[in-house]
Amino acid sequence: MNIAILFGTETGNAEMLAEDISSALEDEHQTRFANLQDTGPSELRDAELNIIVCSSYGDGELPASAKPFADRLREEQTDLDGVRFAMFGLGDGEYATTFGHGSMKLAEMLIGRGAEIVGERLVHDASGDDLPEDIAIPWAEAILASGNAAAASTAE
Amino acid sequence: MTAKVAIIGAGPSGCYTAQALLKMDPDLEVDVIDAQPTPFGLVRYGVAADHQGTKGVARQFARIFIRQKARFFGNIRIGEQVTLGELQDAYDAVVIAAGLSGDRRLGIPGDDLPGIIGSGSLTRALYEHPDAAALPELGQDPVIIGTGNVAIDVLRLLAKTPEELRGSDLGDGPTAWLAAHKFRKITVVGRSSAGAARFSPVLLKELADLSAIDVSVMHPGSANDEEGKRRLEALAELVAATSGPVQVDFHFDSCPIAIEDVSTGLKLDVETPEGRQSLLASSIITAIGFTSDGSLDRDTMLDSAQDRMRPENRTYTIGWFRNGPVGAIPKCREDAQALAQRVMSELQPDPDRIGRNLFETVPDIVGFDHWQRVDALELSTAPDDRCRRKIFHKAELLRPSNLQDA
Ligand SMILES: Cc1cc2nc3c(=O)[nH]c(=O)nc-3n(C[C@H](O)[C@H](O)[C@H](O)COP(=O)(O)OP(=O)(O)OC[C@H]3O[C@@H](n4cnc5c(N)ncnc54)[C@H](O)[C@@H]3O)c2cc1C
Ligand SMILES: Cc1cc2nc3c(=O)[nH]c(=O)nc-3n(C[C@H](O)[C@H](O)[C@H](O)COP(=O)(O)O)c2cc1C
Repeated sequence: MNIAILFGTETGNAEMLAEDISSALEDEHQTRFANLQDTGPSELRDAELNIIVCSSYGDGELPASAKPFADRLREEQTDLDGVRFAMFGLGDGEYATTFGHGSMKLAEMLIGRGAEIVGERLVHDASGDDLPEDIAIPWAEAILASGNAAAASTAE
Repeated sequence: MTAKVAIIGAGPSGCYTAQALLKMDPDLEVDVIDAQPTPFGLVRYGVAADHQGTKGVARQFARIFIRQKARFFGNIRIGEQVTLGELQDAYDAVVIAAGLSGDRRLGIPGDDLPGIIGSGSLTRALYEHPDAAALPELGQDPVIIGTGNVAIDVLRLLAKTPEELRGSDLGDGPTAWLAAHKFRKITVVGRSSAGAARFSPVLLKELADLSAIDVSVMHPGSANDEEGKRRLEALAELVAATSGPVQVDFHFDSCPIAIEDVSTGLKLDVETPEGRQSLLASSIITAIGFTSDGSLDRDTMLDSAQDRMRPENRTYTIGWFRNGPVGAIPKCREDAQALAQRVMSELQPDPDRIGRNLFETVPDIVGFDHWQRVDALELSTAPDDRCRRKIFHKAELLRPSNLQDA
């Protein structure tokens, strides 16, 4: 499958995780890897599936590198009908009331423009004991294994 | 030809610079030198013991040394064992990312009296920095001067109950020291209005969960901008949410004028909208920023760095060392990526430069593998209610007695 792995980050953790997901998938899939900062909303159309890794900052807000993307999404009112994405969040359980809100908001924005979310949005907790890649890689593989993600490629 | 880059300081600025350089050219020789035997600078010794999530960047930094093949040279202080000049001769480029560890003084009469402690030295002692002085006696009514994030960090740590410190990496000594203090009142004094204070509203909100404190606010003033309004809101929520036994008073719009020794401790005079007031303190913690600790001649170095004056020095500066004590970890990353671009575009490798061979005769250098063993040991010996037990003494950090068990 043609997969874009995109990240929104502030201190680089989401980038590292996106790299790990990319290495885990690159043998079986055609993967591309990019910062949301360098990605225009309409580029989401180029991939059969967009796997997005996004952290949270401030009071449950988007991290710095996702903000320009979100601004463009708002301004350009891009039509994302037919675009598929899966969302993995990075967060910290210490921010209990806004845990994972960055990835949540980004997912809502994409859905609002017509994109379809594939699989469940999961959020890694920086205060927990798990390593992000130990959760995210099986999560991505499960999404790809389920007919759900493949639907896009067979429907072509 | 492989170019050689030396980075002084393994804090966020140094690590992100190494990361960005090696992303651009994986074959570069990037050597990161730190005065301490442990890497990561303020991520280990400044970021609060109860903010482990923020310390998560250390996993990223570790990869720079494990996968991207940067080399760590720990326990070398540039300016002591090796001079900056020697480093400049040995490498094609030198990046100074040495941070700023000295506490800025208040600059008012009495600011050097005993009982006045800088937040840098206090946090170094709390977080078991190898060069830290002993933990000071704060008494029952400490005053914190400053309303930045560091001041709020100090307040939160002082105010947390043992239960609230679960899961942190606060050491046995500091934990016992905290428990021995039976604080009655903690006062936070800031020059600006609450809206113009530097602390992040999110950090303030976190205080609302503390069980021991009861917050009051003196002359918060008003705010016109969004951030300012959020600070005022967070403060109002804090006042409403807290009703514990330890009084926490925020005094905004209170400009420190003088400190005097009095029989009960220290007396801090402040100028407020209501005129001059005196606050009594059992100790005063200043959290008003950082400056050079003098171990490196910062002014000269800033001047002789390439970016300012002399291209022939092939020397660059970054992070707190360059900018002063402003900017958190995200800013270090942003600046490092920009600096790495610049260094790459100006690099001119010279095979005659000896690079890391310079350190061959320096005794007691530790590499990243050493840190990995120390790290594993610290994690495996953590008490039940802690995520890590830090090794404190430099001799022990260099030669942990029970390293084999790890
Ligand atoms: C108490 C405190 C709490 C903070 N909390 C947060 C937070 O929660 N979140 C956040 O984003 N930011 C926080 N910050 C800010 C953050 O720590 C800084 O933005 C960041 O550490 C600056 O990075 P740096 O690499 O420039 O300096 P540093 O982290 O200070 O690193 C400098 C390194 O250089 C080494 N060094 C110094 N002199 C020499 C020499 N002569 N030779 C060799 N090595 C040398 C030092 O040992 C150190 O390891 C906090 C800062 C403080 C002081
Ligand atoms: C100032 C600050 C605010 C944060 N706010 C939130 C938040 O509201 N919700 C959340 O789940 N995580 C929050 N986090 C945690 C980060 O999302 C988490 O540390 C993540 O790993 C950072 O990833 P990045 O390096 O890709 O930006 C915050 C972290 C910091 C330092």
